[in-house]
Amino acid sequence: MSLLVTPLSASRAPSMLVVMASALVLLALCGVAFGSSWIPIDKVAAVILGVGEKTQSLIVLQLRLPRVVIAILAGGGMAVAGFLLQKITRNSLASPGVLGVIDGGALGVVIFLAALSNESNTLVTSIVFQPLAAMAGATVGIAMVFLLSGRQSVSAIRLLLFGIAVGAVAKALVMVMMLIGPIYRTSQAARWIAGAVNEVNWTEIQITALLLLPLLILALAVARKLPPADLDEVSARSVGLDLPVFRILVFAVAAALTAVSVAFVGAIGFVGLMAPHLARLIVGRSTVAGIIGSFLLGAFMLVGADLVVRVLFSPTEVPAGTVTAIIGAPYFLFLLMSKQRDDG
Amino acid sequence: MTANSAPSISIDGLTLTYPGKTVLDSVSLDIPRGKITVLAGPNGCGKSTLLRAIRRLHRPAAGRVLLEEMDVAALSEKALARQIGLLAQNPSAPEDMTVEELVRLGRYPHQTMLQRWDAQDTRALEAAMAGTGVTGLRDRPLGSLSGGQLQRVWIAMVLAQETEIVCLDEPVNHLDLAHQLDCLDLVRQLNAEFGRTVVLVLHDLNLAARYADQLVFMRDGGVAACGTPDELMTEALIAQVFNVDAMIITDPAYGRPLCLPLRTC
Repeated sequence: MSLLVTPLSASRAPSMLVVMASALVLLALCGVAFGSSWIPIDKVAAVILGVGEKTQSLIVLQLRLPRVVIAILAGGGMAVAGFLLQKITRNSLASPGVLGVIDGGALGVVIFLAALSNESNTLVTSIVFQPLAAMAGATVGIAMVFLLSGRQSVSAIRLLLFGIAVGAVAKALVMVMMLIGPIYRTSQAARWIAGAVNEVNWTEIQITALLLLPLLILALAVARKLPPADLDEVSARSVGLDLPVFRILVFAVAAALTAVSVAFVGAIGFVGLMAPHLARLIVGRSTVAGIIGSFLLGAFMLVGADLVVRVLFSPTEVPAGTVTAIIGAPYFLFLLMSKQRDDG
Repeated sequence: MTANSAPSISIDGLTLTYPGKTVLDSVSLDIPRGKITVLAGPNGCGKSTLLRAIRRLHRPAAGRVLLEEMDVAALSEKALARQIGLLAQNPSAPEDMTVEELVRLGRYPHQTMLQRWDAQDTRALEAAMAGTGVTGLRDRPLGSLSGGQLQRVWIAMVLAQETEIVCLDEPVNHLDLAHQLDCLDLVRQLNAEFGRTVVLVLHDLNLAARYADQLVFMRDGGVAACGTPDELMTEALIAQVFNVDAMIITDPAYGRPLCLPLRTC
């Protein structure tokens, strides 16, 4: 891998971030413009500025903008979680998907939907609590990984293996719950597991944004402390990084970020793996630029994935998570194979 | 050099256990200020563990480590990192990290939320790279360096920390003969020019005798003997600590004791 990575001077990172942000804005506008009917970009801008025509306003504000906004929040949040996990485990294969966080979150949501639905298949409590259920599940997932790996948790590879095992158990339980449980809108649970950004409303976006913002600020604050995490355990500690404390903090923040991100859109895979890895290639080693770059790239990927399913499969609603998985899985394999070259 | 003659570090009845095993058994030892102390002993005697325990990387089951008469258990991670630098036995950093990026990490304990990188940090960074002769390599990725260059860069990182005390855990382990001398001469130079207190773990007895002001022989988790190399490099003591029959001669070049191992005993 080292040949692929040219170290960039820190001064180039800000301009790269501006480029990424511009690309995201452009793609987001496209995301609103495309759909069953094409709305020209200038009309989209007019609607967003509050001076658009009525039908177009309805389509943009009620149908298209929500899915773009939730894609930005969810993709960005998962990417930042992935960045933190890759940093603290010193392993570019780490991501919320392989550490039991997403599957734990999925289990939390499915239990929530199953336990709190009545006979007529309607939810007896507010949907507002769904992210809390996801967060509880994600926290239990990652805590299990930690407890089971015990002293081995300092070894990134062992941690990943335990993560995959815990994830598999959670997946199986989700399957069982879906097959036997009286689930409020079974199709919703199924969609959740595939990961889709449609059918999201503004209330859900508000909940996501309100929870995500403080977590992102916390992630930035933690990241500023993290540069020594690039070193081995003893060296990192001997320059003064309190690793035993920071490791738990970083895992907790990453789990919470993932849970909030996936709470409404579901288990979108691989964004948390690819975005932070690419961000590091683009902006270099700075942790703060890495967090911002990961957010922008993760958002870009999910908005892009959703755009692709809409353009290619319309009018069938294919979950965006299928696209991220189709691109992400080979990417994971590529990383795995290039790592093997490095190790051997 | 300071006139203070109190030891930099006093280790007081330090006991350290892993599950089912006592690694350090009630060790007491003073590390003299401004001197080079070398810890030596057979494999598994606890010398590396003792070094890491001085830097509080292990929690003792009993006893304490006093740094300038302060219990290290009471210090924050960063405060400790401003006073004791430790070069790990097999340190590792990403291959694409540059030399300067690594050495800059040595300034980490000096930075707080309020105090960002400043002129003092730049001065320490440049001095550390110049002192170890790696300034010319500053933009090179670590993966492109030779073993000897890499070790110098790691020493530069520890040096940039500007700590009174520098601990090095087998710093010449994977180096060839020329680089071993090069590395240890550098350590001695840091000791002599900057008055740093140095604690080294070394495997090679003859290197230990050549560079140590104070030599410590460890065995079975305890201190077997402590003194100058002349006091410790005796045939009886080497047989007792290392299970080796040896002949001790005086090396004709430097006048230091030299151990010729003959056979195990």
